[in-house]
Amino acid sequence: MLNRRTLVAGLSAATLAPRATRAATVNDAAGRAVPILQRVARVFPAGPPAAILLYTLAPDLLIGWPRPNRAEECEYMLPDVCTRPEVGRITGRGNTASLEVVLALKPDLILDVGATAPTFISLASRVQEQTGIPYALLDGRFDAIVPTYRTLGALTHRSEGAESLAQYAEDTMTTIKGRIAGTPAEQRPKVYYARGPRGLETGLAGSINVETIEFMGVRNVASERPGGLAVVSIEQVLLWNPDVIITIDRDFAAGVFHDPLWNAVKAVRDGRVHLSPKVPFGWVDFPPSVNRLIGLWWLAKIIYPELFPEDLRELTRDFYTRFYHRTPTDAQIEHVLAGRG
Amino acid sequence: MVMKLEGHALSIGYTDRLVGHDLDVGVETGEVLALLGPNGSGKTTLLKTLLGLLAPKGGDVQLDGQTLKYYSSRDRARLMAYVPQSHQATFAFTVETVVLMGRIAHGNLFSRPTAADRAVAGQSLERFGIAHLRDRPYTMISGGERQLTLLARALAQEPQFVVLDEPTASLDFGNQGKVMREIRSLAASGHGVLFTTHDPNHAMRAADRAYLLRDGAKIAEGAVGAVLNREQLMALYDAPVEKITDATAGVSAFLPG
Amino acid sequence: MSRSAAPGFAVALAALIIGVLIAFTVGRYPIALSDLFSVFLGKLSGRPPDLPPIVENVIWQVRGPRVVAAALVGAALAVAGTAFQGLFRNPLVSPDILGASSGAALGAVLGIFFSLGVFAIQSLAFAGGLLAVAAVYLIGSAVRSRDPVLVLVLTGVVIGALLGAGVGLVKYLADPYNQLPAMTFWLLGSLAATTLSDLLPLFGPVAAGTLVLIALRWRMNVMSLPDEEARALGVPTGPLRVVIVAAATLVTSASVATAGIIGWVGLVVPHMARSLVGPDFARLIPAAALLGGGFLLVIDTVARNSAAIEIPLGILTAVVGTPFFIWLLTSVSRTWS
Repeated sequence: MLNRRTLVAGLSAATLAPRATRAATVNDAAGRAVPILQRVARVFPAGPPAAILLYTLAPDLLIGWPRPNRAEECEYMLPDVCTRPEVGRITGRGNTASLEVVLALKPDLILDVGATAPTFISLASRVQEQTGIPYALLDGRFDAIVPTYRTLGALTHRSEGAESLAQYAEDTMTTIKGRIAGTPAEQRPKVYYARGPRGLETGLAGSINVETIEFMGVRNVASERPGGLAVVSIEQVLLWNPDVIITIDRDFAAGVFHDPLWNAVKAVRDGRVHLSPKVPFGWVDFPPSVNRLIGLWWLAKIIYPELFPEDLRELTRDFYTRFYHRTPTDAQIEHVLAGRG
Repeated sequence: MVMKLEGHALSIGYTDRLVGHDLDVGVETGEVLALLGPNGSGKTTLLKTLLGLLAPKGGDVQLDGQTLKYYSSRDRARLMAYVPQSHQATFAFTVETVVLMGRIAHGNLFSRPTAADRAVAGQSLERFGIAHLRDRPYTMISGGERQLTLLARALAQEPQFVVLDEPTASLDFGNQGKVMREIRSLAASGHGVLFTTHDPNHAMRAADRAYLLRDGAKIAEGAVGAVLNREQLMALYDAPVEKITDATAGVSAFLPG
Repeated sequence: MSRSAAPGFAVALAALIIGVLIAFTVGRYPIALSDLFSVFLGKLSGRPPDLPPIVENVIWQVRGPRVVAAALVGAALAVAGTAFQGLFRNPLVSPDILGASSGAALGAVLGIFFSLGVFAIQSLAFAGGLLAVAAVYLIGSAVRSRDPVLVLVLTGVVIGALLGAGVGLVKYLADPYNQLPAMTFWLLGSLAATTLSDLLPLFGPVAAGTLVLIALRWRMNVMSLPDEEARALGVPTGPLRVVIVAAATLVTSASVATAGIIGWVGLVVPHMARSLVGPDFARLIPAAALLGGGFLLVIDTVARNSAAIEIPLGILTAVVGTPFFIWLLTSVSRTWS
């Protein structure tokens, strides 16, 4: 009986969503009042950041993944959730899920985590109208993790779990920020973020790719102009002469110490070129979601080694257990920290 | 030493259609042959087949006793020169550059024009009276001058035969006469000349022999005086033809009726 | 038009030399002109100059390869464009017309899509360009026509469109966080990452193709005539066309594989050269090579020095090339009808 009532309520909420005034709503990051079913059992992630966020809070609700996960990644996640099918993505820079497919999957909620610009807000409203499925748009920026978790908790009736994760995030960020606050600006290192096999792609000021790096209060050498990604020449890198280089590209990290040109860069001479771990999800850059939280500790230890004596392995084990719901073995942690996979 | 360009039992046409069948035609060095016929008769097709630009669908073409298809394009170009209708060119090469192109058959693939080449080209320009135009862009001279340039280019090939396609089309009245005179002088200097024309009067004036082609079949061939008469021309063009004679000058001309 | 093209050639050569000088002296890493001379003199005399090794490194390892690459690519594209303009009897033709750039682009984005290394991506791009033109040629020759050139152009346009659709598809399926930006940067054209090891795979095909085209320049005038006329003049147009297309495609594919898609050079530089030395291809081709090298050197110098970040070459050549071309079209002394 409860089931039938919920079903009817769910159906009516879905079909009457635009006009619903008596259904419960939650305000998403765009200020939209998203109607919420009393029971939420299936959630469709609109893109990778949404999928990851949802997995950390409520893996059982995840219908599928925008892109299939590789076997190496599934070793660090719940195996039955990790292998759920590919369902495509709705928004972002490409749209591979047709709305009919979404409807056929019968989600109770479509979750989107990312930019809250007017384009995406109008997309959210459009999809909600077309499909009748509540569409929640949450802020994907790193410093919005805490409110985003709380909203997600309200949307999925998992407020307790959400609060615990949000608290962890808040503690992490406050601790790290607090410790670096004492360091004067001149002592903060210059950091260059190297992408691409030649290491010549980088993120400009404020780009989502370097959010966590810039969170660390360092000087992003490429920050003389705001923007997204850009290509630079090696001459420019030599001129900047960064103290630390963070990279996500394995080929670059392997070859940089043998390259006579790059050896003229301070970071390379000092051995401060660091390859970001990336299983199951990248610790820096992408996908731009809560997976970067553990990356904060990693960055902190790289950039301010004296200020952060914590054992990264313990932190990794703790984070992976809480957020990815699976405790990694020591060997697995070594594997992750070495940047392999 | 007389050289012959001959087509034996030629079937001519394109991949999709046959234009002419079982044609015998020939021209010798030192004589001028005019090819007449209405539009679509196959004159141009026959011309191109004799030049080796189109493969015959049947029969063969013999140049100096050898079958044409066994000549390389280079060897062929040293014996036969083609003067197309003067056209609008895409690039504004100078007149001298255009005439120098005639010397290509005498070099190899990578060779540049030699002093000898330039001398031959210069003589060719002089002969047709256009030496003063040598540095002018080809695109900036008149239609008549362009036709003469192409004639000079053909002569620079030092060929035995010169084959012209409608050499007087789009020329003004004065230039028509001039080109016809040049054709006669080519024969006088020992070349064999073959040209197509729409105008029987030009054939009368410039040619020794005429070949009448209609619907891909020969309807008459022989000396111009014998072949070019009212009856033959009416049969050729299937239209009335008038003949006017100036008794005192002893010349006659044909007019469309 | 004067018979001597010497003044025109002098200008073209000066353009190249100035381009090289500017490219070597101007850069993000500050190097004084005197230091530059010291390094060069040091190399010649065998005595090392009294400068920090980083300066020498920048000059030989960074700017040196980039200067050579820009000169080579610029010359290659200009010569290929000139040859094609003659071959297709159309002064508005560029080296892309037979689909070499589209094929190379598809090869490159596929390489990025499968996360291959840099050398593999370049090889795929090179192969893609060659295969695309080979396909165009094969299909074109299967079509019987009295105008083989027109058939080639039409086939090139069609195949180019198909390959472009392929590139679009690969971009659509690519990972938007990592692969898509890499593809976008690659497609816009850049010499930013040129190293010494890139030069050899570039130099070989470009030198071979450019030398062939220069050697054939005396025949290029005739190839610009209608097919029948050219054959009647004694030139074997069929085989020669294959060789010219092959040589031009070789240089275009190698250039695109190294530097991405750089348009306009192959279209504008032949015209600049024509206004300097006249339309005779025998002079045009060497002049275009010199001018093309100088042109791209100047453009590349602007690309890497206007800001801390690199401006893609494809964008700059379009921005510079378009008004220049409009000026050429409207100026009085056009040397083509």
